[in-house]
Amino acid sequence: MQSDHALQRGSGQHDLSESRNQEFLTTSRSPDAELPIESIRCRSCRAMGTEFKLYLSSADEIQAQACYLAAFEEIERIEQAFSRFRDSSEVSRINRLAFNGPMVTDPEVFQLISRAMDISRKTGGFFDVTVGSLTRVWGFAEHQRRIPEPQALAEARESVGWQKVVLDPAWRTVQFLQAGIELDLGAIAKGYAVDSVMEVLRRIGVPALMDAGSSSMMANDAELFRDWKVAIPNPLNRALPLWDVKLGNRALSTSGVMEQSFVQDGCIYSHLIHPVGQSAPPSASGQQLLQVTVLAPDSTLADALSTAMFLLGHEQGSQSLQQFPECSALWVYSDANGLIPRAHQWPEDENLCNKGVFHGKA
Amino acid sequence: MERREFIGLAAAGLGAISLGMKGCNPHNVAPGDWVNLAVIGVGSRGQQMMRMMLRVPGVRITGLCDIYEPRFEQGRKVTGEQTPVYKDYRKMLEAHDIDAVMVTTPVGLHAEHICAALDSGRAVYGEKSMGRSLADCNQIRDTARRTGKIFQTGLQYAYAPWTQEALQRIQQGKIGKVTAIHAYWHRNNNWRRPVPQGQEAQLERLLNWRLYREWSGGLLAELGSHQMSIANTIFGSLPESAIASGGIDFWKDGREIEDNVHSTLRYPGGQTLQVSYITTNRLDGAQERIYGTAGSIVLTHTEAIYYKEPWEPNSAIPPEINIEHKLITGPTYSAEQPYHGSGDTPIKGKVDDANLLACRAFIDCIRNHRRPIADVEAGWSQGVTVALANRALELDRKVTMAEFLR
Repeated sequence: MQSDHALQRGSGQHDLSESRNQEFLTTSRSPDAELPIESIRCRSCRAMGTEFKLYLSSADEIQAQACYLAAFEEIERIEQAFSRFRDSSEVSRINRLAFNGPMVTDPEVFQLISRAMDISRKTGGFFDVTVGSLTRVWGFAEHQRRIPEPQALAEARESVGWQKVVLDPAWRTVQFLQAGIELDLGAIAKGYAVDSVMEVLRRIGVPALMDAGSSSMMANDAELFRDWKVAIPNPLNRALPLWDVKLGNRALSTSGVMEQSFVQDGCIYSHLIHPVGQSAPPSASGQQLLQVTVLAPDSTLADALSTAMFLLGHEQGSQSLQQFPECSALWVYSDANGLIPRAHQWPEDENLCNKGVFHGKA
Repeated sequence: MERREFIGLAAAGLGAISLGMKGCNPHNVAPGDWVNLAVIGVGSRGQQMMRMMLRVPGVRITGLCDIYEPRFEQGRKVTGEQTPVYKDYRKMLEAHDIDAVMVTTPVGLHAEHICAALDSGRAVYGEKSMGRSLADCNQIRDTARRTGKIFQTGLQYAYAPWTQEALQRIQQGKIGKVTAIHAYWHRNNNWRRPVPQGQEAQLERLLNWRLYREWSGGLLAELGSHQMSIANTIFGSLPESAIASGGIDFWKDGREIEDNVHSTLRYPGGQTLQVSYITTNRLDGAQERIYGTAGSIVLTHTEAIYYKEPWEPNSAIPPEINIEHKLITGPTYSAEQPYHGSGDTPIKGKVDDANLLACRAFIDCIRNHRRPIADVEAGWSQGVTVALANRALELDRKVTMAEFLR
């Protein structure tokens, strides 16, 4: 278990997720749920650098196997289109060629890039679809996390800027206005994969819930899964849930420092990179942001916004969320006295299941 | 091709309206070079290939045909517009705004759809396997020859630079004489598509056509096509015989198609292709292991890896032998253990998806009146090889190509 004390006083570099002792987010059913437990099946696959878990309701084993196959093939298809780590992906092709001139792409790829650009614009660039070079220079992409040299950081920063990407919807083209720009859909493609799988299974009438790396979740049948809860954990002690959220027809996404981060000389460095190149999560008045959870109508939006809301912090994030009226967010800060929740439009009917850990008000 | 140029111009005009075209054309394609593509079979493979085609500048999809209506909405989602839809491919082929047709229907329907499209005067991209039977393959080859229209078989790995580079090395003798190829396509799933709840009785055979004999060529056709095509290219001929075995041994769910198939094909030069398709383990994935007397090549969907045979070059005779004429005896120190050298991957990364390469090549052939690499003869060779192995599987005995072609 990682303590607040250790976060502030640690020296040398260590991994915050080393102390992980249970799932980041956990799903649970309330006792009065109508769905018989024996009809729920679960199977997982590794993709996009994480684990996708698919819960589905099917009494038929043969049909369930076919559903898993269709779902995991859909994830693979999306990874093959959007991964910047695969040389043969469409995004890699765009990254190689879009500075040379307008690049034609297919409608699906164009639409997701357009959506990412729209979110980039609405969040003032705190979600930035071109942040890849910064992620790389910090070593998060290659799992070789390090504090970059100032010059390398400055050079990487030069290659970031969603405004340097030009889309032409009339012709479905993407063009970069500057050499070195590259698209990085890592903070949105996972959510898009969840949405796409839910759509595939909705078409065949199979109720399902998908959990991507415990950070993005959505169900395709609000009625069947209405009693399912997602436990948002205490970022300092995962065994203690802070909040139970009923998913209903919403998508949920959580971003935080407890995964893919490291502590060096008392500072936390997170894989969530500020567009100016800063990796440390926002802190103000002695309060350190540890985690943010976003509820949104779809998983694509929730995934992208959880990154942006983490980098923006509560105050700026709440303002930014005015442009996303159907979304809500819950930030969890810590200070010397414990945890402090901050919320924007957080649903009132959700249970705060472990109030004792907070010393502030949401 | 005046007709095509006229249609292309007309299509570009239509595009200007429906796409809200403005300014110059960033596709950098002359109006006469726009290709309007119609699709017969809008299932998962059809949709995947449509996305690839739409990444090629100057391509529009102007018709979608399927007998399963939910595919229309899915197909239009892929095209991003209200593409005209048809339940009868003959009606679609009557439309004027079609330059080329992509056939992505079940294998057993390829001949009917491909030949109709060729006869309508269009260039055709036909998915593999070219046909399910010898008669199917002959019909397609004869129609393509008669009409003179461009036909490209869906052998996309023939367009992958790592495959082309490997074939070139083999041709140059870099791995010596190729004597054997072991090809695997191992997966661990039931190879099923989910069927909408409550409609299993009506839709099972339509959506899971690969599992039933009516339209399917089984694992040999679905998985073996690429590998047999590569073997035929390397060995420079059709196989002279095949044996095969397989069964429904694990997924006993009512399917008619074997869930595991193994086949050995012998070639006139004394070479062997051994293929293995299982659905219960994916350790080996999909690969072709090409064995030559001086080295090996492992081909996968993403790369080619080269291994030299582990022989040291001639070395100087050690002094103790030259001077004392003495050898030292002892237990055998080297057995026939597999060697795992580091391998060499000269073609790495920075290459496009093989499907996209194949689509781009097809469009290029239409624009420049060129013959595809995976042309009708390559398709026929591949299709007939699959059909031969399937015949051996069906008869459970060795079948020679001579008797099969009679």
